[in-house]
Amino acid sequence: MTISEDKPFNWFPPLFLITLFQLISASFVVFDDGEFKYLTAATVMAYILVEWVYAIIASVAFEIRHLELELMGFFLSGIGIIICGSISESYAMKQGIAIGLGLIVYLIMLAILRRTDIVMKLRTPVAVCAVGILILNLVLAKTTNGTLNWIEIAGISIQPSEIVKIAFVFVGGATLDKLQMTKSITKYIIFAIACVGFLFLMRDFGTALVFFFTFVIIAFMRSGDIRTIALVCAIAVLGAAMVIFFKSTVAARFETYRHIWDDMYGKGMQQTRTLIYSASGGFFGLGIGKGMLKYTYAASTDLVFGMLCEEWGFIIAGTVVVTFAFFVYYAIKTARNTRSAFYAIVACAASGMLLFQMSLNVFGVTDLLPFTGVTLPFISRGGTSMLCSWGMLAFIKSADIHTYPKLSKTILPDHPLYPEDIPISFKRRRNVNG
Amino acid sequence: MDNATKRAYSLFAVIGGFTIGLLILIYSFIAHGSSWATNKANQHLYSNGTVSTFGDIYDRNDKALAVTVDGRRKYNSDSVIRKATLHAVGDLNGYISTGVQYTFRNTLAGYSPINGIASIVQYGKGNDVHLTLDAQVCRIAYNALNGRNGTVCAYNYYTGEILCMVSAPTYDPENKPTDIDNNPIYNGVYLNRAITGLYTPGSIFKVVTAVSAIENIPDINSRTYDCDGKYETSDGTVICNDIHNRVNFQQALNRSCNSAFADIALELGKSKLTETAKELGFNTKFSVNGVSDPSKSMFNVKKASKADLGWAGIGQYTTLVNPYHMMTIMGCIANDGIAVMPFLIDHIETPQGIKVPTKVSVSEDIHLAPATAKKIGEMLRSDITDYYGDGRFPNLQMCGKTGTAEIDDGQPHSWFVGYSQNQKTPYAIAVIVENGGTGLSAAAIIANTVMQAIK
Repeated sequence: MTISEDKPFNWFPPLFLITLFQLISASFVVFDDGEFKYLTAATVMAYILVEWVYAIIASVAFEIRHLELELMGFFLSGIGIIICGSISESYAMKQGIAIGLGLIVYLIMLAILRRTDIVMKLRTPVAVCAVGILILNLVLAKTTNGTLNWIEIAGISIQPSEIVKIAFVFVGGATLDKLQMTKSITKYIIFAIACVGFLFLMRDFGTALVFFFTFVIIAFMRSGDIRTIALVCAIAVLGAAMVIFFKSTVAARFETYRHIWDDMYGKGMQQTRTLIYSASGGFFGLGIGKGMLKYTYAASTDLVFGMLCEEWGFIIAGTVVVTFAFFVYYAIKTARNTRSAFYAIVACAASGMLLFQMSLNVFGVTDLLPFTGVTLPFISRGGTSMLCSWGMLAFIKSADIHTYPKLSKTILPDHPLYPEDIPISFKRRRNVNG
Repeated sequence: MDNATKRAYSLFAVIGGFTIGLLILIYSFIAHGSSWATNKANQHLYSNGTVSTFGDIYDRNDKALAVTVDGRRKYNSDSVIRKATLHAVGDLNGYISTGVQYTFRNTLAGYSPINGIASIVQYGKGNDVHLTLDAQVCRIAYNALNGRNGTVCAYNYYTGEILCMVSAPTYDPENKPTDIDNNPIYNGVYLNRAITGLYTPGSIFKVVTAVSAIENIPDINSRTYDCDGKYETSDGTVICNDIHNRVNFQQALNRSCNSAFADIALELGKSKLTETAKELGFNTKFSVNGVSDPSKSMFNVKKASKADLGWAGIGQYTTLVNPYHMMTIMGCIANDGIAVMPFLIDHIETPQGIKVPTKVSVSEDIHLAPATAKKIGEMLRSDITDYYGDGRFPNLQMCGKTGTAEIDDGQPHSWFVGYSQNQKTPYAIAVIVENGGTGLSAAAIIANTVMQAIK
């Protein structure tokens, strides 16, 4: 096994361009209506500061030279802040705090994922906690918008299923008795069924679908058994079809699918407005803050892709969605060269989840897929969604051997997750230069 | 390379799925973006269900036909002009599906796939549309119809500009009648009869039969026909409007002798006649700038008996023609066999003041050999000079043919199609007055009135 030469990645020019992009787009919001919006301006400036501090510390103190993933995350999250700012200053501030928390979650996870012995110890408690959170959610939840997936603690709304997403990938990657045996899936299947089942009970079908898709990726990565996976999918599709057929409340959610224009002042309201205003934006957009879609319900959460198209233009909206495909591409590239299968699995699962959820959101609001109300990762307004997005990024990042340049000194070679035949041949450029 | 690594490549399938989705999304935006962006729910364009930022529509003399003032759509101050230009201008709800306000709603809204409706946000309004119509001529044409249903359309056969396009029944868009949906006088009020109307041609179809005869019967000019008021075939009789006794080809067209033309149609046969009809654009769908989807004229004699073919040759049987199409055929004859396609939009003016003119195009579906066009032109001129009387069309050097189309119930439809040979007035015209009686008594008079007005 060979490891390709580490090509140096100079993060300075891209981060400079991203900063420029953020300053320009923020200026539309901050100076709009002739009044200077201090809170939004402060949030954006603080955010840009965090970007630079992170990049400098990561590259200088930790010798992490590959910052592509973080830069993509910064690019997407920055758009999210400015979209929030174009609606309300407090939204921008809250979103800024959410990104800060997301970064903290990201760093903590990177620290945990560095040590697979800790990962192995944590997998059972995490699985129990995840199921526990979902049960607690179901007990405490109040009905919001037809789903039960929000709980409120001390005046802050939390979407527990977003946090459970991180646990789902974590447990999926770590529940290994022996590497890549079909039977080792069993435990994970039980965990997966529990998660998806509770989400169904919460009537959060979008998230259930995201979980199921992630499960399929993990199960395939683990077993490689296409026939079993096909069977699982067939049973799931059949089951879902029966649920939709027998439960009228479920069917009602899908009845507008491909018929949104028949009920454009009722159930098709959100999607028709998304299409109307997205088309209005053209390639270059009508200008940030100049849109009309923002007055539609859930504009900055579910319909945020429409706001992007209308105000920022299809070029930027397209760049955003393509960025998610790059996450997956990065994971595939990284999986060639991980320290163990664990990292390949979590990187693929996390990136696949991000791309799938983004697709479900974007194609859902544009009526190519049923509208399920999942968020657009990194962009949609919302704290827990942001934590989950950065958590997913941590999984992809941890798989990259460049993330832990000093790991060879602290590795625990006797642990089963580190087969000795996989070398860690990461070459530190610093040493080359003396 | 371990298994998990290899399996990671399967994620390319996920990227592939996403890419397909993205391409479908882009396609949908290209295919449907204009109708989405101009949907009535778009608050950029409409406020309270009415257009607030549509561009203005003007006639050729910059007379305002429909403008946006303070977010409200206003039409011309003259109620007769409003009625006369209604079908060309169209309505905001798209009931008049051939009207400019519907067919050019993207342009008026300022929509383009690249820029969306950005110009509206920047300039507060979309593009202006300048029509080739002359509102004053339309007004005169509407008055000449004098309450009768029908249509008048006229265009410049050199340039293609449509100067007059009036359809009745009509209504005043500023005071839309409340009983428009159930009062029988408003039957088909949303149809622009010039564009979507299909009528039995009657004698004006003899122009087509004559063209076919010129092309296919070499000694047609030396033929004579005996008319005793009817023309007998082995399976039926074609009735003539008069007893013309002995007429030659020229006189047969002048006097519109059914017996002679039934005889010519039978001599030509089904395939020759169909071929000529096709050459002149029958059974063909046009797509014309500013005039969306005119109805296609229909000529089909496949199942016709001998008598049916005779009737078809004089414009009865199942043949149906579109007034706009007939006008274009006249233009084709006037312009030596080359049909310049009529158009309604002179130019579009963007909010930045850039003028985008319509490109003039020549029809490939309607054409004649120059010699044929010259011959039939002479015969049409002879109709006026030798039969109807040149005094009916002073100073126009008019050529033309009347028609009296028998219909199942009521008075026949009155037709006139023709053009002016005068180089100062290079216009072709088609007029139909529903249940108007003979061609000469109604349509021809309106044609002259309108032609004099254009002059």
